[in-house]
Amino acid sequence: MRLAAAKCEGCGAAVPEGGSFCPACGRSQGTAERPRQVQSGWTAFVDRAWDFFASTRVATVLIILLALGSVAGSLVEQEHLYQDWRLPDMYYPDRYGPFWGRLYMALGLTHAYTSIWYVTLVLLVVVSLIICSLHRLIPLHRTLVKPQVWKLSHFIRRQEVTGETAGTLDGMESSLRKRGFKVVRDRECLYADRGRISRYGPYIIHIGLLLVAFSAMGKALPAMNQVRDVWVPDGQTVKVPETDFAITNHKFTMELYPSGAPSRFATDAAVVKGGQEVARQTIEVNHPLRYEGWDIYQASWREEPGIAHVAVVDSGGRPVATLPVDLRNPAAEYAVTDTVKLVVQSYFHDFVVDSATNQPTNASFEVKNPVLLADFVESATGKTVGKAALLVLGQTPPIFEGAYRLEVQKVETRWYTALKLHKDHTVPFMYFGLFVVMLGMVITFFWFHWQIWVREESGRLLLGARAYKNKFGLKQEVRRLLGTDSGEGKIA
Amino acid sequence: MTTQNPMLVTASAWLLFLAFVGYVAATLFYASGFIGGRISQGAKFAKVGNWATNAHAAGVLFHAAAIIARWQGAGHWPTSNMYEFIGFMAFTSMLAFQVINRIFRMHLLGALVSPTGVFLMAYSYVFPPKVAPLVPALKSYWLPIHVSLAALGEGFFAVAFGAALLYLLRVRGLELAARDEVAATASGPLPATPTTLSREERQAPWERVWGQRAMEVLFYGMSVMLGFTLLALILRYSGFQWIFDTATYHLPPIIGPLGEAVGSKGSLLGLPLPLVEAPTWMRGKHMNTMLYSLVLGGLIYGFVRAFLTKGPVGDWLARRVSGDSETLDEISYRAVAIGYPVFTLGGLIFAMLWAKEAWGDYWFWDPKETWALIAWLTYTAYLHLRISRGWGGRRAAWVAVLGFGVILFTLIGVNLLIVGVHSYAGGDL
Repeated sequence: MRLAAAKCEGCGAAVPEGGSFCPACGRSQGTAERPRQVQSGWTAFVDRAWDFFASTRVATVLIILLALGSVAGSLVEQEHLYQDWRLPDMYYPDRYGPFWGRLYMALGLTHAYTSIWYVTLVLLVVVSLIICSLHRLIPLHRTLVKPQVWKLSHFIRRQEVTGETAGTLDGMESSLRKRGFKVVRDRECLYADRGRISRYGPYIIHIGLLLVAFSAMGKALPAMNQVRDVWVPDGQTVKVPETDFAITNHKFTMELYPSGAPSRFATDAAVVKGGQEVARQTIEVNHPLRYEGWDIYQASWREEPGIAHVAVVDSGGRPVATLPVDLRNPAAEYAVTDTVKLVVQSYFHDFVVDSATNQPTNASFEVKNPVLLADFVESATGKTVGKAALLVLGQTPPIFEGAYRLEVQKVETRWYTALKLHKDHTVPFMYFGLFVVMLGMVITFFWFHWQIWVREESGRLLLGARAYKNKFGLKQEVRRLLGTDSGEGKIA
Repeated sequence: MTTQNPMLVTASAWLLFLAFVGYVAATLFYASGFIGGRISQGAKFAKVGNWATNAHAAGVLFHAAAIIARWQGAGHWPTSNMYEFIGFMAFTSMLAFQVINRIFRMHLLGALVSPTGVFLMAYSYVFPPKVAPLVPALKSYWLPIHVSLAALGEGFFAVAFGAALLYLLRVRGLELAARDEVAATASGPLPATPTTLSREERQAPWERVWGQRAMEVLFYGMSVMLGFTLLALILRYSGFQWIFDTATYHLPPIIGPLGEAVGSKGSLLGLPLPLVEAPTWMRGKHMNTMLYSLVLGGLIYGFVRAFLTKGPVGDWLARRVSGDSETLDEISYRAVAIGYPVFTLGGLIFAMLWAKEAWGDYWFWDPKETWALIAWLTYTAYLHLRISRGWGGRRAAWVAVLGFGVILFTLIGVNLLIVGVHSYAGGDL
């Protein structure tokens, strides 16, 4: 009795006894040699995922999707870039209209590059980079290190550049070696190649890009990337939040071109730690100060009315005293004469009357419309002898009761420098990654891998060559090898 | 701080004019060499191609001298505003063409790339050529390094664009020729794609439907840019203006600035000016200029299509382009293969190093940076398309064409349409 024929593992068709392949679908039989056939659902999934990500087509599509995603984010103003004091919830509905503003926010388009879909896309690209590289690098390395030397003439004739010449394999080997080729021989065949390293180039780029991607992701980890902003008025020292040092602004300078456009911003700055100046440098745009991992940048500047020199004038029109009033932070009282003092009742740096409560208040954080309300008080008795209100920057006539009134003589400008402090631990990794990318690019694009197969047949040499780049250069190289120009070999 | 030498700046303008003449001469020589060679079947005009290359090389030398003169005259590296930058980009494109031409010597490519340089130079005159002192942010040794190297990479991309466009036309021409042949010899339904083309050269399914249209859109886009340049040049010297609080228009304001009442500037031919108010997301003035360019571009394209080519412009050209399609593909690839690493270094890596030094962080997702990344991704896609079996050839060539569009948008569109930290580079249009 005949043994029952086996059934194909793939399509179920009958397979003759001992047959290795299915006659119907061509699938190879026998589970022992093909461990991939006996798979749990999980390994099958991993296998499929691997094949998916190992595909160049998938990688290309992912690259294009990433480009499209980046476009989307560049068309909507990003949360970290818009110049408005309002929070996104208030800003976007006003900027793009209530419907679109809220839709953009819901889709994450207002913070596109940290949104869930963009990060997912980047992660998919990273997975694709890793799997594509692993999938190809090892087989590639094997074929480059152990190339197949012995080839049929039919294979050689099919190459991009082919030629024929009289001569011996030994002669060809030595001239190839002279031209910098690595040569391997097998019976009547010879294999030579040059610029092999070029083939590893793309994988070096991929490794560099992975370093770049990981460095960029590392920035999101706590304490890896710290940023502080400080505003320091001229001549003052401001503590940098959550650090153990402060910054002194000795002097902020702004220089202008004759046209009025700014030509230079600079802060003569010092780092103060434990009451001691530990570093001092002029910080300019493009010239940050470096201190213990912190880079301190000139970010912006601001001027505001600083100190008003306020004259106290008596009823005869004679100035009695001049008081320096700090418009950011006035003193509680000023001595006018030996017997009279000025007591500040209330002060607003940006006076406005709140329409809801009908009470005076500040309209902003800036010193824009400073208003001082004060009493003149006898120092000895504490008796109020007069009242005065002063609109420091206004042109209004003085408002007062009693013998004294206040007049502004001049207002000194106070300059602030805005310094931005960065401490980013990912920078060295990022730069190293970029260096690796660039190295890989040079190797990939400026080295050429040329492969040459030569076969000796009835006293003549048959040559076939393949270029992974620069086919024209290879043609010339083969021309020189064969001596075509001096009329020896011929090139197809 | 910066010493200026007006004489050198003037000399630079004259040298630039000589370069311009060189490129125009090269364009004419390349074109006449190609057309003459075609008509006489190679019997005549054989040397004209070499004259063209020499004229072109002379143009490049004059251009280099002009850049050096302006550098010395202005006291800073001349890539600080749009006028200087676009001129510099014209220079790098022409330099890149010289490099590629040394390897491949294809005169037809010169006939396409030289006018690109002419166009870029004409376009640069749209912007005010006045030497402006540098803003503090640009005062860095990175200005010459980052901008020049990025522009050099982009120059190679311009050559790749030219070669890819020729490749697409050539393959289309082969397809049309084969179709004509079939039509002449046999009756019955025509095969959609002739079998003489390689797999990569055959149309992809989308291309059968959209390929010809996409090509026409491309020529329309070129007409728009040409129209825009003509318009802007005429305006600069005509002196019309409509003054609003926020902007001064040189064209009748159909789209007014945000917040301007419709009809506040009287009327033209019975239409109130402005006719509509600009939306919040774009400056009215730019939108107004764009509207005119789109219309003028349409007129130019329509004229060419109706009277010159009497049908689709792409197909008309495709029937007249000759050359080895494989070589064209190779040229395009080689140009990208040189431009891509140069652009990566100059346009991205050096940009990151400078950003770190000037602004404190190496990446901000500023629109200009983002678009440089998009351009880089597009060319990355191109390189990967070429190694995906069956996706090289035409698909890759389309991406190379698209890639240059992205580059142009990065350089010009971002400045005009989107405002970011690079906004000091914007021009007034």
